[in-house]
Amino acid sequence: MNKQQLHDSALQHVTGEAVYVNDIDSHARLLTGHVVFSPFAHANIISYDLGRAKKTKGVHAILCYHDIPGENQVGAVVKDEVCLAEKEVTFIGQALFLIAAESKEIALKAEQLIEVDYEPLEAVLNIEDAMEKNQLLATPRIMECGDFQKAFNDSAFHLEGELKTGAQEHWYLETQSCLSIPGEGNEMVIYSSTQHPSEVQSIVSGVLGRKKNEIEVVVKRIGGAFGGKESQPNQVAAWTALLASATGLPVKISLLRDEDQIITGKRHPFLSFYKVGFNQAGMINALKVELNGDAGSSTDLSNAILERSMFHIDNAYFIPNLHLTGKMWKTNHPSNTAFRGFGAPQAMAVIEAIIDRISRKLSIDPAEIRRRNFYGMDDRNITYYGEKIENNRLFSIFEKLITTSGYYNKREEINKFNTNHEFFKKGMALTPVKFGISFTTSFLNQAGALVNIYKDGSVLITHGGVEMGQGLHTKIVTIAASELGIDMDKIRVAATSTSKVPNTSATAASSGSDLNGMAVKNAVDKLKSRLTEIFLQEINKNHPQKPSFEGSVLFQDNYVVDQMHRERKKSFKELISLAYLNQISLSATGFYKTPGIFFDKQKGKGKPFFYYAYGMAVSEVLLDVLTGHHQVLRTDILHDVGNSLHKSIDIGQIEGGFIQGVGWCTIEEIKYDRNGKMLTHSPDTYKIPTINDLPLDFRVNLLKDAPNPNNIKKSKAVGEPPFMLSFSVWLAIKDAISAIADHTTEPEFSLPATQEVILRSIEKLKEQI
Amino acid sequence: MKQPQHIIQFLLNDNLIEIDFSKSVEYKPTTTVLNYLRSLPGHKGVKEGCAEGDCGACTVVLAEYNQNGSFTYKAVTSCLLFLPMIHGKQLITVEGLAEKNGDQWELHPVQKEIIQSFGSQCGYCTPGIVMSLFALYKNHDNPSKTIINDALTGNLCRCTGYRPIIEAAEKACANIKSHQLTVKEKKAENIFKALGSLEKSIAIESQGQKYFRPATLHNALSLIKQYPKAHIVTGGSDIAIKQTKKQEFLEEIIDISGLRELKGHSEDQANIYLGAGLSMEEVKTIVDNKIPELHHILSYFGSLQIRNIATIGGNLGTASPISDTLPVLIARKAKVILKSGDKERTQSIDSFIKGYRKTNINPDELIYRIVIPKTMKGVIFKSYKLSKRKELDISSVSGAFRLQLDNEKKITDIALVFGGMAEMPKKAVQTEMFLMKKKFERETIETAMKILYDEFMPITDARASDVGRRLMARNLLMKFYNDV
Ligand SMILES: Cc1cc2nc3c(=O)[nH]c(=O)nc-3n(C[C@H](O)[C@H](O)[C@H](O)COP(=O)(O)OP(=O)(O)OC[C@H]3O[C@@H](n4cnc5c(N)ncnc54)[C@H](O)[C@@H]3O)c2cc1C
Ligand code: FES
Ligand code: FES
Repeated sequence: MNKQQLHDSALQHVTGEAVYVNDIDSHARLLTGHVVFSPFAHANIISYDLGRAKKTKGVHAILCYHDIPGENQVGAVVKDEVCLAEKEVTFIGQALFLIAAESKEIALKAEQLIEVDYEPLEAVLNIEDAMEKNQLLATPRIMECGDFQKAFNDSAFHLEGELKTGAQEHWYLETQSCLSIPGEGNEMVIYSSTQHPSEVQSIVSGVLGRKKNEIEVVVKRIGGAFGGKESQPNQVAAWTALLASATGLPVKISLLRDEDQIITGKRHPFLSFYKVGFNQAGMINALKVELNGDAGSSTDLSNAILERSMFHIDNAYFIPNLHLTGKMWKTNHPSNTAFRGFGAPQAMAVIEAIIDRISRKLSIDPAEIRRRNFYGMDDRNITYYGEKIENNRLFSIFEKLITTSGYYNKREEINKFNTNHEFFKKGMALTPVKFGISFTTSFLNQAGALVNIYKDGSVLITHGGVEMGQGLHTKIVTIAASELGIDMDKIRVAATSTSKVPNTSATAASSGSDLNGMAVKNAVDKLKSRLTEIFLQEINKNHPQKPSFEGSVLFQDNYVVDQMHRERKKSFKELISLAYLNQISLSATGFYKTPGIFFDKQKGKGKPFFYYAYGMAVSEVLLDVLTGHHQVLRTDILHDVGNSLHKSIDIGQIEGGFIQGVGWCTIEEIKYDRNGKMLTHSPDTYKIPTINDLPLDFRVNLLKDAPNPNNIKKSKAVGEPPFMLSFSVWLAIKDAISAIADHTTEPEFSLPATQEVILRSIEKLKEQI
Repeated sequence: MKQPQHIIQFLLNDNLIEIDFSKSVEYKPTTTVLNYLRSLPGHKGVKEGCAEGDCGACTVVLAEYNQNGSFTYKAVTSCLLFLPMIHGKQLITVEGLAEKNGDQWELHPVQKEIIQSFGSQCGYCTPGIVMSLFALYKNHDNPSKTIINDALTGNLCRCTGYRPIIEAAEKACANIKSHQLTVKEKKAENIFKALGSLEKSIAIESQGQKYFRPATLHNALSLIKQYPKAHIVTGGSDIAIKQTKKQEFLEEIIDISGLRELKGHSEDQANIYLGAGLSMEEVKTIVDNKIPELHHILSYFGSLQIRNIATIGGNLGTASPISDTLPVLIARKAKVILKSGDKERTQSIDSFIKGYRKTNINPDELIYRIVIPKTMKGVIFKSYKLSKRKELDISSVSGAFRLQLDNEKKITDIALVFGGMAEMPKKAVQTEMFLMKKKFERETIETAMKILYDEFMPITDARASDVGRRLMARNLLMKFYNDV
């Protein structure tokens, strides 16, 4: 591939020209939508009065559930999430009423005049309470292999424990936003900040009681998503559409930051229990884990998230005897939702914590314990759900990274440092990632595209994926340019629209470029074959004796050429005019579905993943024992993206994902008061990484010469896997704490390891020695 | 010609703008610069990410034209600025950096480098980052990593992980720049010169609000007397939040950010005198190594954008238990000078702070100056700030300590002042008493830590728990011991 394409929106980003939903103005009579939500985590609604509020000057409509023309539902998968509360509220932030007003100020004034009489009910606010009340969301899931109990009994060493991992707020810079514009008849155009336009279309058509062909959802770009805009935009779109339909005017909602943080779901907090049996060498024989997730008040994507958790309890390790239970619990919080990694981080934290403990127990370096437990190249290579690990990159990455990071030398230096310092300790950890690529709900692995070539030879692509910063459109342009053999500046990707490409899956599960890239290629292939035909027709007029063949036609350097007879060529542009004059269609749709993947949910076996992405990180931290503050001194990452579709974009995903993971592991903490009211609902108290939270020395490399057979351009997906490389920081901190007791005692530790958690852990450890 | 008092004038990039509040229905005096910009066609580059100064998506640059023909550039968060605060200044936004000739863009170096380094992913933080970089570009040639990080601490980016943004900053600012005015600056200079002095008092009564921005201290003091219930605002970083987050309606405002009398500073043999209207960033530069522990704590104060607007007078005025300067000033035995129409009085900061967010200022008084004694030989000062996130966070606990030892290492003077441990910054009196006259050695300190652990009953909140806070305070004593 020729030169690296710059991010296709970069110029608009830096000049301020880039348009996001909240930037679309031009509608003279645009109304502001506002949602009135429940202040109680659990309560009955006894009565309410909208009369006075409706009379406020500048208010155009106030709606309650009675006013919904279609169904009162916004549930993404299971229909258990009402759009507007009816008799009961089940979380703080649940929508009750919608206001359309001439400004947010007016809407807020009107809200003050709404009177609601609640009867507060007991609320369940954490997993422990949900367990006690037996509030399961769905039947527990089980996956197993071998014979756990026997293997456990036979193991020389045993450990038992639990791990808590916290919620995480997505903190996309652009809050949830949607603009709905009513058209003639039943038409409605929705500009939504969503990763999943087709689902927004479906939900809106549901609440309005209209056909999907009357609802068009358009997404130009979104200001960050990370999973937080997979299902959460459904409700916001439904609200604006209801208000637009009621008033006949365009309505926009752009949530304030605090509203967004209070109303929308987070990464699922998990509470996990484990038992592990292993031998003298640290090899795991038997593992039993119970994963418990806090689903919040409704299903949302929790079942799929639990499933992905369960597929990743092994991370990179072969576990011969496993008993795994997965449970999602209903609580009175907003329904928790997709977040980069989709449940996998919560499970992988468990196995990484276990390995860390094994190493301390046996006094063997944790990196070595990890290596010993890796899936094998030729044996020990079948997962507990039956998928065979092919093209295993674990050992090659491990060996390279151990060398380039200077792991063992550094270990010695760190030990020396720790012997000489009482109030500062250093720690280090190497952690791997093996992440399965594909939606685990197999049918979702499909994508569509529409490619138009215009008479001037310029190309317009529409595909089912959404550009949220991950560089999807840039990658698509790169793919199309190389397939068509034309310059990238001749190709443009249009806004994603349900009218151009229907029935799409969410841009999620890291699969955006895999699926849509293949669909675009499929459309391009169709066009190329039509163009080749007309090319041959034209060229062969002059060479009836020695005609050119289809197989030797190349699309290259803005020309179509016979590679056997290089003089036989036509410029791409010329050929396009010719095709047009010959009445050949210059528009094609493309489609792709991932081949060969399936999963039997009953048996818990199958091949759910098309392939795995791998990566590893080594991080070194310096811990201030008295303050609990830490600094990441250095991080080395080696990550596998197959043949990179775009190096800079891939590295950007790795760095960004890693830092977001570091945030989850160290400083991002969601706290509630006793009544379930969120205390950390703005960046004043909810802290995501700043520029200072980068490792002082940060080295990110892509694994070389590791093509991924079968996938688009032999590449690999990159969106989610790097998130979990951040465990290297989490466990490096633990290693530093552990040094206080000379690695003889297991420190108390959880996730996030905030400054306070660290201080308390140190305190406890000091009491024990 | 002097404009009437209800009109403000400023440059928006290259254009002179006048807002007449007596006519405007769209803008009230406390309309924020962010909301003003976003109401204009073609100015949607600036973004709202939080409306509380914590994300930097709304960053713009304020330029001031100086008497000597130069410009001063400051990155600020436009979500916390009221429109009258930019009177007489040039407001530079992301739309003002590049030129578009036909379809061709002529980009500013910081914009070019962000593109080349892949410093934008979703792009939502980018306009703010570009503006912070623009200010950095204007103020520094070849800045160090520390300066770059400091310039960008106030800009959150959730996508990139920041590394490419640092790369862009390094590349864009690598060269030594000429000190001649650029074409754009000449344009602005011409407009400012033609306008003459823009210093004037502003008084606006509109949409139920009264907003005064007096030009002289004298004028300010009489307004305060006249409107005893008015909010006094300098930087506004505390007051603006009442409107942007708590949706409070601010009825009467006396904005003293235009008072030259509050912006001076001086020093003599014994003291440094700081005008209450000096920004935290200015204070940080002034005190530098003279009051190192104040400089240190200010390095962890908010972000550069916040320090450019927040003032030291405002920090005292909040009397907040987590105000970062108060413990330092108390440990320093600093004083505050209060001024009313007819008199001045001096108070120790210690006695000035009365309780939770309460001072003993009279309704007709302003905080005028802060007097900080310089370091005397043999007296040791240190300050510490502990927070969940090290940068741009509010203290869970802060500590400022003063110590003097005699020849036998016996403690002859000690002050242990803590923020975040009580309803206001407080001394650990019992621990101090225990330590007085004792030898400054580890054993003593360890015993003192036990006393300190039980001395305060802090609260549990979003930032830290009570136990956590007690541990932090206790450990700071050992930290101090090690650092001395
Ligand atoms: C994002 C962000 C980060 C922050 N980080 C920190 C931090 O790290 N540490 C910290 O301590 N604070 C922090 N703050 C709080 C705030 O910025 C400071 O307290 C600041 O010093 C207030 O100054 P100001 O000029 O902006 O105050 P204003 O909002 O103008 O005023 C604050 C109070 O003081 C009164 N006042 C102001 N000037 C005078 C005067 N001359 N005479 C009498 N009364 C006066 C006002 O009436 C008001 O009650 C932060 C705030 C934000 C928004
Ligand atoms: S909007 Fe976040 S700092 Fe202003
Ligand atoms: S590029 Fe998305 S937040 Fe910075």
